[in-house]
Amino acid sequence: MPYDAMSERTEEELLAAYAAGEPAAARALTARLGPRLFGTAMRMLGDRAEAEDVAQEALLRLWRAAPGWREGEAKVSTWCYRVVTNLCIDRIRRRRGRQVGLDDVPEPPDPAPSAAQAMQSRARDAALQAALDALPERQKQAVVLRHLEGLSNPEIAGIMDIGVRAVESLTARGRKALEGLLLGRRAELGYDDD
Amino acid sequence: MTMTDRRRDDEGPLAPWFEAGREAAPRPDGDWMARMEALALEEQPAAVSAAVTPPARRGRLRDLLGQIGGWPAMAGLAAACAAGLWIGVASPDGVAQWWPGDTANAGYTTFDPASGFDFAMLEL
Repeated sequence: MPYDAMSERTEEELLAAYAAGEPAAARALTARLGPRLFGTAMRMLGDRAEAEDVAQEALLRLWRAAPGWREGEAKVSTWCYRVVTNLCIDRIRRRRGRQVGLDDVPEPPDPAPSAAQAMQSRARDAALQAALDALPERQKQAVVLRHLEGLSNPEIAGIMDIGVRAVESLTARGRKALEGLLLGRRAELGYDDD
Repeated sequence: MTMTDRRRDDEGPLAPWFEAGREAAPRPDGDWMARMEALALEEQPAAVSAAVTPPARRGRLRDLLGQIGGWPAMAGLAAACAAGLWIGVASPDGVAQWWPGDTANAGYTTFDPASGFDFAMLEL
């Protein structure tokens, strides 16, 4: 089946096709889920190599769960986000004690003069990542899924296995902590000039 | 109000930070994606072919039929049974001619399929 036709199918349909041995479904699901899982892991962990490991582990678990996947039991994306964020939390807990503080984040590399805009963008992103890394893990998970991955509160509730109100509470507390860490750096990062 | 609008309202003064974060979403490199695709194909179950004929169901009767020689043997057995039943029920006169013993006491006649001589020959 051509890739274009695959792109119209839901992830649940693609997973069923994967389990039935369609190679195009394997490619389509990898293309669809891989970047999202990697992006989430990257935001949670702030480390590319670790994010690659974690996203790979989540995908591997999905492939192994595919033959026994029961239709209607869970949304594939919800299941994947749950696995990848839980794996990230495990990693964060393992490396606790050697946490990097906001002030310890290395400065972005020296840019070429013509790349001032890019430098500012990288600096902002690095500041956001460092602030996210300073949040408690559950707040970080909720904030990343809500504000960076753009998921709805009910979807996040399903991923985190908690109620919608608990998600709202976690994201509100996370945002408040981020405001304390980031708003004082508005001028330094050029947000006052925008 | 759409979900996106509500999210933006929630973001408040952090909106530009999150906006920048979404625009600069971390992307995996091509090598990693290629490895993930290879992994997906490696882990994929083999395709189920619709052309494969399912194995025929085997029951005890079918096994028994096979052991006695199939349908030709079954036909012979059925014919022998029918002939025996007919002889028993109709008791045709001609049967007595073939019986070597006393027909009056035929039901009680002891019939030794192997004589003492046969056993002696076999050294039993």
